[in-house]
Amino acid sequence: MYSYNQVDQQLVDERVEQFRDQTRRYLAGELPEEEFLALRLMNGLYIQRQAPMLRVAIPYGTFSAPQLRALAYIARTWDKGYGHFTTRTNIQFNWPKLEDVPDILAELAKVQMHAIQTSGNCIRNTTTDPLAGVTDDEVADPRPWCELIRQWSTLHPEFAYLPRKFKIAVSGGPNDRAASRVHDIGLELVKNAAGEVGFKVLVGGGLGRTPIIGKVVRDYLEADELFSYLEAILRIYNLKGRRDNKYKARIKILVAALGIDEFRNLVEEEWQHLKGGELRLTPEKISQVETHFKPFTYVEQNPAQAKQTAADLAAAFAEHPDFKVWYERNTQAHKVVGYRIVHISLKPLLGAPGDITDQQMEAVADLAEAYSFNEIRATQDQNLVLTDVQEKDLLAVWQGLVAANLARANINTLTDSIVCPGWDFCALANAKTLNINEQINQAFDDLDYLYDLGDIQLNISGCINACAHHHIGHIGILGVDKKGEDWYQITLGGSATEQARLGKVLGRAVPADAVADTLKTILATYLDLRQADESFIQAVDRLGIQPFKEAVYH
Amino acid sequence: MPLIINRQIQNEDAWQFIDAEDFQPEQVTAANNQALVLPAEKLAEVAPKTLLQLSEAKKLGASLTTEQDHELLLPYLDKLALIAIEFLVFRDGRGFSQARLLRRAGFKGELRAVGEVARDRLAHLESCGFDAFVIPEERFKAEDLAAFSEVGVSYQQPSLQQQKEKLEAEDGIA
Repeated sequence: MYSYNQVDQQLVDERVEQFRDQTRRYLAGELPEEEFLALRLMNGLYIQRQAPMLRVAIPYGTFSAPQLRALAYIARTWDKGYGHFTTRTNIQFNWPKLEDVPDILAELAKVQMHAIQTSGNCIRNTTTDPLAGVTDDEVADPRPWCELIRQWSTLHPEFAYLPRKFKIAVSGGPNDRAASRVHDIGLELVKNAAGEVGFKVLVGGGLGRTPIIGKVVRDYLEADELFSYLEAILRIYNLKGRRDNKYKARIKILVAALGIDEFRNLVEEEWQHLKGGELRLTPEKISQVETHFKPFTYVEQNPAQAKQTAADLAAAFAEHPDFKVWYERNTQAHKVVGYRIVHISLKPLLGAPGDITDQQMEAVADLAEAYSFNEIRATQDQNLVLTDVQEKDLLAVWQGLVAANLARANINTLTDSIVCPGWDFCALANAKTLNINEQINQAFDDLDYLYDLGDIQLNISGCINACAHHHIGHIGILGVDKKGEDWYQITLGGSATEQARLGKVLGRAVPADAVADTLKTILATYLDLRQADESFIQAVDRLGIQPFKEAVYH
Repeated sequence: MPLIINRQIQNEDAWQFIDAEDFQPEQVTAANNQALVLPAEKLAEVAPKTLLQLSEAKKLGASLTTEQDHELLLPYLDKLALIAIEFLVFRDGRGFSQARLLRRAGFKGELRAVGEVARDRLAHLESCGFDAFVIPEERFKAEDLAAFSEVGVSYQQPSLQQQKEKLEAEDGIA
């Protein structure tokens, strides 16, 4: 993974001291409330319902065991012993004191971490495929490009006061696991006819109040012109994006208002001034960053060892049926023979999705150090991944996860839901979400039934800002406030893949105590109507929402 | 109000700003030997001869708000010794791009940030091409000059100094 050079370290260290001074001036009454708000947001600090919330950046979701241990230390020292992983692959602390935040940031800087641009109307943390580099279906590894974007966007002087927040995602290939079509800018690594690697560029996607799928603004962008093209898009947006209404300020509204062709014309015209200029990436710069993301030195197994490993696994499956279930649900093939990708579920039966205690963080750090090249990935589904585990070590990893209460075998099932913190923690929320998720977990406690339902993405948002991305859940749930009571609107058929689409509203909202029962009706209908190996989303695509609607509102 | 030019506090400001409301084209004159900053949208109303006289004396400036299009000024760039960009609200980031575009178009004179300008935006403003700043009295302390060098490294190039050097070099070639 990337490690800081002197410049990177100096920037983060000086940013900490800059923020320390800003906080001091605010507490001394020298900095107006409104200005400090903008400054603290640009450094990841919100003031929430209960206390300040600090969001720490995990650039493109990749971090190391020592970094995770530092996060555990912060959780224990300045918070209540836990953190919360977000859908932007960052981690949030919900209970720090404002006056402690500079010290927390200083602690982060020691392990090459920061909270820069994790909030505010600026370019946010770039996200990517959590499996980057370990699957065989990518055109190129997206992580070096994410790191380059991180550098380009960090403290970019021109784009610190955009009309609204700005999110970029990079997909390593045609199978989009980065949700790039619902980002302000989505980049997909592609090859041109000459076999050169470049980007397909999408713009104007997003969720929130006005969900829109991104549109292609350029079919092929030369990779070394990435910065110049991003800068052209951002400059047009900065100058022309609406600033009169925060709900109409995202780039998707500008693109929709101008039309993609007119928007493209403006970008291309601006780009003519920039391309081939100082922003062009040199081959040296690209390869300097790529060096940090070289494949690990994998151990090759000889046939005898491979046979032994297979026999050992079979024996372990027989001895520990839960291990077999976990292996089947929570691990997947790696591009290198003898390795598996291990998903760690942060979706316990009782507990907020994405939450992790300090002790669990240390347990995961230990496992990463011992078995997965010291690295961890955070996912947009609010889980963690150990991407490079040898098959012979899987039993030990599973046992370590069981001991840390992190071995729930529910990856990609209904209970692997994305849930925002909702009314309990968030000042924006209209409705509670954690209670609804708990209700669903209790109603679907039969594992055989859960596995029979197969892959289902359930997303639960507590308000129309859609932090849990309910529009792109196979099943989406949106909390709404009706005369002081929480009601829930259900959508079906959303998806965040390369065929991204928005879910359709099933019908009128249901009361809080009826959510799980409604899902039971929907899923019973699926089981009745499904063909052969048809997944839930495939069935909804084939059938439309009508049969589900009839079953629920008969 | 404190005026900073090239990171130095100035004791005097040679420029007189004319508001759009007070602007009367027939009263604009080079005869008073006064450096004038005129609203960008009013430049076209001034007699060309007056503009030329002011320009030759390096006493012609123009002001633009973040609401306006910087292209209004492009026909006058070689005549202007000063451009002021007024930030109507501190969160309005358009001024940063306007500055970049004016510098790119070849403007080498004083680029002054006015309006909602304060310490915590000085470094970014300078990086985008501003070299002068007017800060409201109650928001200014002498130690605010430290803000320019709070973060001493940057991923984005070029710096203001490099931009200026590049313009000088291009002049040399021309």
